Amino acid sequence: MTKDRYRRQALVRELGQNGQDMLATKHVVVIGGGGLGSNSANLMVRMGIGSIDIIDYDSVELSNLHRTSVFSEEDLGKSKALVLQEKLQKVNMNVRAKAINQRVTSENIRAFVSDADVIIDGTDSVPLRLLINEESIRHNIPWVYAGVYETVGMVMGILPKNTPCFQCITQNIPKSTMKEIPVLGSLPATIASIQCNEAIKILLGRHPKGLIIYDVWNQCFDSMNIQRNPSCITCGRK
Amino acid sequence: MNIVKINVTVYGRYKNIAGNQTIQLDITDGNTLRDVIDVFVKQYPMTKKDKSRMIVTKNKMYSSYDTMITEEDEVSIAPPVVSGG
Repeated sequence: MTKDRYRRQALVRELGQNGQDMLATKHVVVIGGGGLGSNSANLMVRMGIGSIDIIDYDSVELSNLHRTSVFSEEDLGKSKALVLQEKLQKVNMNVRAKAINQRVTSENIRAFVSDADVIIDGTDSVPLRLLINEESIRHNIPWVYAGVYETVGMVMGILPKNTPCFQCITQNIPKSTMKEIPVLGSLPATIASIQCNEAIKILLGRHPKGLIIYDVWNQCFDSMNIQRNPSCITCGRK
Repeated sequence: MNIVKINVTVYGRYKNIAGNQTIQLDITDGNTLRDVIDVFVKQYPMTKKDKSRMIVTKNKMYSSYDTMITEEDEVSIAPPVVSGG
């Protein structure tokens, strides 16, 4: 039954049955279960990742529903992480889905990600991404940044000491003071799909390349080649 | 007046705004990436709101706005990193 579930995916030349079997041995940690994280967790579970932890401290709000395909009105007020665990476990019983209903901090992040094969960014803040980035570089754990704003989305797979890190591309950015980030409802699912593509490639041993930029309104899809910054304060060659 | 001609590759919506992925900017004042950004924004005013937060690379390496450049350098400019989720 398991083989039948992934039959069409295992036919993909770049994966094959070996790639599919390899995915079943991998552990993914999704930090943030909102627009990006919920859609990414959904895809990773459906594609047959071995196990997935979903970390989020927030509850489902009405204003979340326009940009996720997983939550529904009956989930309002419930823990995002727990709802995702319950729903995604029903999608695929072969995957171990675990909810962690906690806030990620510099004190506890190590415990959450230490055994991850890849970290999926489902957060909505630059400081938390920088924390993930530092942990990733310190302990050599790949992660995939993704972000959305209005009609623009970006994704970058980060392979410590191989590709630029998040700090490499954000050194000039002033701290955001925006409370609510405007987002076209269909965009997080699109960007989460691209993010999962990058995660799958990393898990199967392929190196990510640069920053992917998708602008819905201007119909632009770009891949920007960026190299590591040797003077980066986080990943620079010391 | 000393004019420095800089080849710039632009990404995302900047490609539509500039009408091309590769443009050439004439820098008449200064020789840093900040000066390139100044000319870019002046030439394409729709990019003005991003001015302090653009992703800028020199020879494919993310660089601060104060980085010096010459005509031989390859400059790329992209819209700011987005952070919503």
